[in-house]
Amino acid sequence: MKPATVPSRQISRRSFGRGAAATLAGLTISFRLAEAQSPPALPPMIKANPRLDAWVRITPDGAIRVFTGRVEIGQGTLTALRQIAADELDVAFDRVTLLTVDTSRSPDEGQTAGSLAIKLGGSALGHACADARATLLKVAADAWSADAAALKVENGVIRGPAGQSMSYAEAAAKVSLARPVDAAAKRKPAAAQTVIGTSVPRVDLPAKVFGQQVFIHDLRPAGMLFGAIARPPAYAAQLMDADLAAIRAMPGVVEVVRDGSFLGVIARREEQARAAAAQLARTAKWANGPSLFGGNAVFDYLKTAPSETKLIHASKGDAPPASLNHKAQYRRHFQAHASIGASCALAQWDGPKLTVWSHTQGPFPLRGELAKVFKPADVADIRVIHAQGSGCYGHNGADDVALDAALLAQKVPGKPVRVHWAHEEEMAWEPWGSAMVVELAGGVSAEGKLTSWTHDVYSFPHSTRPEAGEGCNLRSAWYLASPLAPQKPKDIPLPNGAAGRNAVPIYAAANQAISTHFLADMPIRTSALRTLGGYFNALSAEMFMDDLAAKAGKDPVAFRLANIADERLVAVLNKAVGLAGWTPRKVERRAAQKELTGTGVGLSRYKNQDCYVAVVAEVAVDPRSGRVRVQRLWSAADVGRAVNPDGVLNQIEGGMVQAASWTLMEAGRWDAGIMTAVDYNDYPIIDFLGLPAITSALIERPQLPSLGVGEGSQAPTGAAIANAVFDAIGKRVGEVPLLPERVLAAIKA
Amino acid sequence: MPNLTINGKPVSIDVDPQTPLIYVLRNDLALNGPKLGCARGQCGACTVHVDGKAARSCQVPVSSAVGKQVVTLEGLGTPARPHPLQTAFLAEQAAQCGYCTSGMIMQGAALLAEKPNPTESEVRAQMNANLCRCGTHPRIVRAILRAASGKA
Repeated sequence: MKPATVPSRQISRRSFGRGAAATLAGLTISFRLAEAQSPPALPPMIKANPRLDAWVRITPDGAIRVFTGRVEIGQGTLTALRQIAADELDVAFDRVTLLTVDTSRSPDEGQTAGSLAIKLGGSALGHACADARATLLKVAADAWSADAAALKVENGVIRGPAGQSMSYAEAAAKVSLARPVDAAAKRKPAAAQTVIGTSVPRVDLPAKVFGQQVFIHDLRPAGMLFGAIARPPAYAAQLMDADLAAIRAMPGVVEVVRDGSFLGVIARREEQARAAAAQLARTAKWANGPSLFGGNAVFDYLKTAPSETKLIHASKGDAPPASLNHKAQYRRHFQAHASIGASCALAQWDGPKLTVWSHTQGPFPLRGELAKVFKPADVADIRVIHAQGSGCYGHNGADDVALDAALLAQKVPGKPVRVHWAHEEEMAWEPWGSAMVVELAGGVSAEGKLTSWTHDVYSFPHSTRPEAGEGCNLRSAWYLASPLAPQKPKDIPLPNGAAGRNAVPIYAAANQAISTHFLADMPIRTSALRTLGGYFNALSAEMFMDDLAAKAGKDPVAFRLANIADERLVAVLNKAVGLAGWTPRKVERRAAQKELTGTGVGLSRYKNQDCYVAVVAEVAVDPRSGRVRVQRLWSAADVGRAVNPDGVLNQIEGGMVQAASWTLMEAGRWDAGIMTAVDYNDYPIIDFLGLPAITSALIERPQLPSLGVGEGSQAPTGAAIANAVFDAIGKRVGEVPLLPERVLAAIKA
Repeated sequence: MPNLTINGKPVSIDVDPQTPLIYVLRNDLALNGPKLGCARGQCGACTVHVDGKAARSCQVPVSSAVGKQVVTLEGLGTPARPHPLQTAFLAEQAAQCGYCTSGMIMQGAALLAEKPNPTESEVRAQMNANLCRCGTHPRIVRAILRAASGKA
C-alpha cells in the first residue's frame, strides 16, 4: 500500500466506526454510506465526512460533544463553532463540548485556511447539529404521537404540547446518530438564532490570561527530551562532514542525529539542545550551492525567469472611447509570518506508531505528509493531535517542525521529543510570502468610466502546503540521505486563486484581461502568507484606481462609486468615508511643508466572494526622512451574518494593524544562500508607537450567509495607506513596503 | 545550585548558573506564563517581574535572580484572585492567539505599579518594546487604561 495516496477521510471514517461503537452503548446500528448520491444541498465538508456522528454525539449520559476539523489559530474559531452548535441544538453555550482536532477522532476538513473556518466548517457543523436536533425531536414526537413542529426545546429539554418533557439524554438513548447526515435538515433562520450573532467571550482566553496550559509549547509529558536542528548555512548547502562525537560530549546531549544533510541534537534540557545544535551547525563542513536568483534582483527575476502564463479571466464589453490610458508596475517584497512564538512540535514513537502534537493548520494533510516519509503500514499508525501555537497567519514552520521532531524522536523510542525552533530559524527556514510584480493597464472615458482593465501578476507559489500527491512538502525531507523531493508547486485556480487571488477587479470595468505568470521554481521557498496573492493584487488595483483618478482629475471616492456595480461595496465605501469625514477632492501635489499629510481610501471584497471591507487612512510623511506615520484608520466591513461580532472586529482591526506593518515596514533580505533578516531588528514589525488610532464599523446583515473574515482587511488597509502617501506627497510609491528611502526618493524625484 | 524565590515560594534548581531564567521557569518549574519568543530580548513574550520591575527572562541568567523576588503571570493573579489587568484583558478580549499576552500583562502591570494613572501615550511608550503579531495593540492599550481607571 502507498500510504500517501490513501484519501485521509477513508481512514478517519474507519476510526470513527470504532469510536462510535464505544459511544453508542447497547445499540447495534448498521448503515450504508450514501454513495455518490449526496444531494447538492449538503455542505462540502459534510460530503467529505458524511456521518452525522462524525460531527455530533449526544449520548444517553446527556453529554453533548461536537467535532470539528478546524483548528484554533488565534482567530476565535473554537468559540464561534461552539456558538453555532449550541444555537442549532438549542442548548446553552456551556453545555456543548467542542473536541479539538485529533486525527483519530475528528472529521477531516483539510486545512484551516483561506478564511473558510466559519463559512465551510461552520456551515457543516451547523447543518449536522440541526439534523441531530430534528432527530431527537422526532423521537419525542413519535413517543407522544405529536407533530414535531409543535415541540419546543429549552436548553436540551424537549417540551410537548400537552406539557410532556424529554431530555436530549433520554431521546438520545432511543436513536442512533451513526448514519449519514440528512441533506434535508434545515438550519434555523437568523431571526431564531440566540447564540449566533452574539459576542460570546473567547473560550480560550482565560487560560491564556492566567498562564494555564493551552499552547503546544506548554506540553510537558513525562520523560520529555528536547530537540534542536543544526541548519545548513544556506538552503542549497550540503553537509560534507561533522564531528558528531564532539557534540555528543557536550552537556546534556543524549543523541546526535545525522541523516544526509539533516543534523539534529537531542538533549535533556532545552538550552542544552539549542547550544549543541548551534555548535554542530557552526563546526560542520558544508558545501554551498548556487546563488539565489542567479545573483539577480528579485523583481528582474520575476519578470524574466521562465513562468507559466495563464489568462485566468477575460471579459469583453461595449465601452465608450477612452479619454486617457495609463499603465503602472507595482512591486512587493518577500514578507514573513514572523509569529511571536516560533514553530513547535512534540513527537513520540511507540513501536510502529507515531504520535505528533502539532499546531499545524491541517492535521490530516500533515499526517499524510509524514506518512510519505515514514511509510507506515497504515496511515492511521500516525496520529496528529492539534495543540495551539502562536498565531500563524498562514503556512509557517508548523508542519516542518513536526517532521523534525518525528525524525529525532525515532532515535529515542518511547520518549516524547519537543522541538521548538529558534525565532531566527523560523525566519530563515519557514516559507515566506512571495515577492510579486503586478502590472496594470487601463483606460478611462471622458465620463469617468473604466473602459479597459488588464492585470498581470508575476509570482512565486502561494501554497506549498502538505497535500496528497507526488513529493513531500516537509522541508527536512529534502535534506535526508534518501531525500523526498518537494511537490511540484501548483497555482490555485479561481474562484479562490493564489497568485491570482483578487486579481479580478471589483470594478465594473469593460474589457478585462487578467493573467497570472506563475514561477513554480522558487529559489526562496514561498507559501501561504495570510491572503496569499490577495493583499497585493487588490492593493495594486487600488493604487491603480487612484493613479487613474489623479490622471482624470477625479475624487478617488467618486471615481470608485462611478465604477461599482455591487451595492454592498458601495455601502462599505460610503460607511468608511462617512466615518472618516472624507472631503472630496482631486489628488494633487501639495506645496512642501514641514510635514506632509494625506488621506487615502482602499476597497476590496476578499477573494471577490467573501467579506467587503473599505478603509480610509490618514498619514503624515516627514519630507526630510520619508518616514510615514499612519495616524488614523477608519474601516467599514460587511461580513454577512457575523457569528461573533466582537470576534469579527478583532479580526478586522488586527488585520488592519498587521497590514500597516506589511505595507510600511516589512521586507525580506537575503545573501547568496539564505534569508538574512532573521530577527526583529532586521525584520521589524509594527509596535505600539507605530499604532494608528482605529475606528471601525460593521454593517450587520444577519439574514445573509456568513462570509470569510480573517483576511478581509489587509488589502484595503494597505491600499488606503499607499493612497494616502500618494495624496500626501503627490507621487506614487509603488514598491511595498513603503520604506522611508523609497518615499524620500519619490518626494525628491 | 541557585536558590530562587518564584511567585513567593523558595525553590532550588540544579542548573548551570548562566542558564537564562526563562528555561528554568518554563521547563524546571512548569510555569506556562512566560513564553519563549525571540530569545534575544526583542519581543517581550518572556517578561516577568524581578523585584517588581519588568525583566526579559530570556536575558536574565538564573544566577542574577538569586535573592530576588521573581513573579510570573501565575504569581500575578489567579482566576480566584485576578490582578486587575488580567480582568481587564478578559473584559476587552485583548488577545487573538494569546502568545504575547503574558508578556503584555506583566509589562503593563509593572507600568501600573509605577504609574497608576498613565495617559494613553505613556502606555504606548511603556509597552512599545512588547510585540504583538496579531495586531491586538488597540485592545491591549484599552485593557491597560481600563485597569488603571479601576473599571476592571
